Amino acid sequence: MSTRHSKAAELFLKDKDLAAWHDETLWMVRAKRDNQSKQLPEWEHLRDMACAIKMYSNSHLDQLLLEFEKNALANGAHVYWAKDAEEYCSIVYNILHGHNVRHFIKSKSMLAEECGLNEFLEEKGIEVVESDLGERILQLMHKKPSHIVMPAIHIKKEEIGELFVKEMNTEPGNNDQTYLTHAARKNLRHKFIEAEAAMTGANFAVASTGECVVCTNEGNADMGTSQPKLQITAFGMEKIVPDRGSLGVFTRLLARSGTGQAITTYTSHYRKPRPGGELHIIIVDNGRSRILADKEHVKTLNCLRCGACMNTCPVYRRSGGYSYTYFIPGPIGINLGMLKAPLHYYDNVSACSLCHSCQNVCPAKVDLADQIYRWRQKLEDLGVASTSKKAMSGGMKFLMERPGLFGFALKNAPIANSLPRWMMYNDLNDWGKEHEMPKFARESFNEMWKKKKV
Amino acid sequence: MSSREDILESIRRNTRMRYEKPDYAQLEEEAVKYPDLLARFKEVMPQMGGRAVVLQKGEDVNKVIKGLYPNAVRIAATMKEVRCGEGMQPVTCATFHPDDVRCSGDLDGTDLAIIQGRVGVCENGAVWIQQDVEQRAVYFIAEALVILLDRHNLVSNMHEAYRQIDTGEYGYGVFISGPSKTADIEQALVLGAHGARDVTVILV
Repeated sequence: MSTRHSKAAELFLKDKDLAAWHDETLWMVRAKRDNQSKQLPEWEHLRDMACAIKMYSNSHLDQLLLEFEKNALANGAHVYWAKDAEEYCSIVYNILHGHNVRHFIKSKSMLAEECGLNEFLEEKGIEVVESDLGERILQLMHKKPSHIVMPAIHIKKEEIGELFVKEMNTEPGNNDQTYLTHAARKNLRHKFIEAEAAMTGANFAVASTGECVVCTNEGNADMGTSQPKLQITAFGMEKIVPDRGSLGVFTRLLARSGTGQAITTYTSHYRKPRPGGELHIIIVDNGRSRILADKEHVKTLNCLRCGACMNTCPVYRRSGGYSYTYFIPGPIGINLGMLKAPLHYYDNVSACSLCHSCQNVCPAKVDLADQIYRWRQKLEDLGVASTSKKAMSGGMKFLMERPGLFGFALKNAPIANSLPRWMMYNDLNDWGKEHEMPKFARESFNEMWKKKKV
Repeated sequence: MSSREDILESIRRNTRMRYEKPDYAQLEEEAVKYPDLLARFKEVMPQMGGRAVVLQKGEDVNKVIKGLYPNAVRIAATMKEVRCGEGMQPVTCATFHPDDVRCSGDLDGTDLAIIQGRVGVCENGAVWIQQDVEQRAVYFIAEALVILLDRHNLVSNMHEAYRQIDTGEYGYGVFISGPSKTADIEQALVLGAHGARDVTVILV
């Protein structure tokens, strides 16, 4: 019954203190989200509206992308279309190469992660510097993000302190978060100034104005794009929104849902290139248009990448981002991975208790848990259903269909209560792993009912 | 066929049901509204890590700024004067204009930047800055930021704000809500990640 997820989760849980901290910290972020949402009586209407706007925009992508392109060109930007990861990487490289860029500063972009941009550029000799603090820490450690909004949530400050001694000449043993953050501020300041080009993703691309909107707390997207005069912005096509009126809806939901803040510190609107500069915009498909035809999973395209579904997920909180095999973890990652390559990423669909919490906090109402349930029904057809789970379900079905046998089994179940631990907690019983077995009651509800005790 | 045509063709082929565009009017109508905008804005700014100061009648804006940032030496201002109530006040405490520098990197080391806010949002402390100088780096690179905002330009929520903002001739604008921040090291909140460490909105 073990999946690659459950095996990796076992590793994560070995460090009990870190695992407990991870669980509690993300739950705290979820509580902050609740606090924000409760301050707005119209909260649920905002979520309904966000969902309705996304359903509209994702079913009118052809029209809205053309409207965006027309306006972006009129604003003086260059617009490119990339079918897949390779084309996206090549376009970025060609722009940089054509301008002799050697130093390239980037703000966080999940699209760049998805397409392997950094590796592509570094192989071709371009130095890529991540400017989001969490991403920079991971880049220097040669690690990947474990959360889409809090990428370094799994790293302890002691490790960062050690890293910065080596990379930024900080005092050995000083692991104070403020000290380390300000050391990175100073170090990256030079990187911003020496860069010849800057790149950002986009949280929203507005069709009616041709502008791209980027939300950050650190100000790294703006530090980058206000130094070198060459700016590249790339977004997955589902980031398109119709107009500024819709930004009113999304900017109220994004940070409240993701980090429990009323808004991010910076919400930047890039419409034109800087005087004497250039703005290059890349619209990326990479499998998204194919999802439009899948009516059971098309709502994944509503996702704002806020991370709320991860913060609330009891499995994610207790297993960490690295236990998932797709680069986006948590409920949304389970679904996006299955849409990308089901035979490659099916292990993740078991990383869900179907508690539906994700779908109840999602600001754009992606039906995350329902989709995971539907994927599970398809495992048999994909030929990857777990044989032990199938045997167990078969056994349960056999028992449930025979009331006499079921009654007999239930009556004798309390025997298990007094069995020695080694008989209950071993490799044969998957339910006994990291889990205390429930005590069987002496009397079943059925018996109590008959005796009129309840 | 170009990638552009391929992608558009793929979108058209795969698009199933087309949903109608929703009307935002009712939501905008029921969105949170504050009866006393000024009081609410003063209350929300500290929650975002910044502060709001209301300029009193007859008070000199330069004195207020100097009082808040007594150690600032290199001070940039994007405006020469500011409208306060009925009259204009000259901004004299600045030492240079951000477009006087040779290149944007030369703005590094600016202690304080005094900039113009256009609209303040009471639900979240965000202030709309429409780019009004060539070197927009000044909004981010300075150690501290003073945003001058007309107290009559406060709105309750983002819906109202988006009806009033524009990106102007430079084609850039940003909502700034308090100082730059991060919690990327063990979720401990630290002010001053890359942008301003300290932000004051002076309501004139």
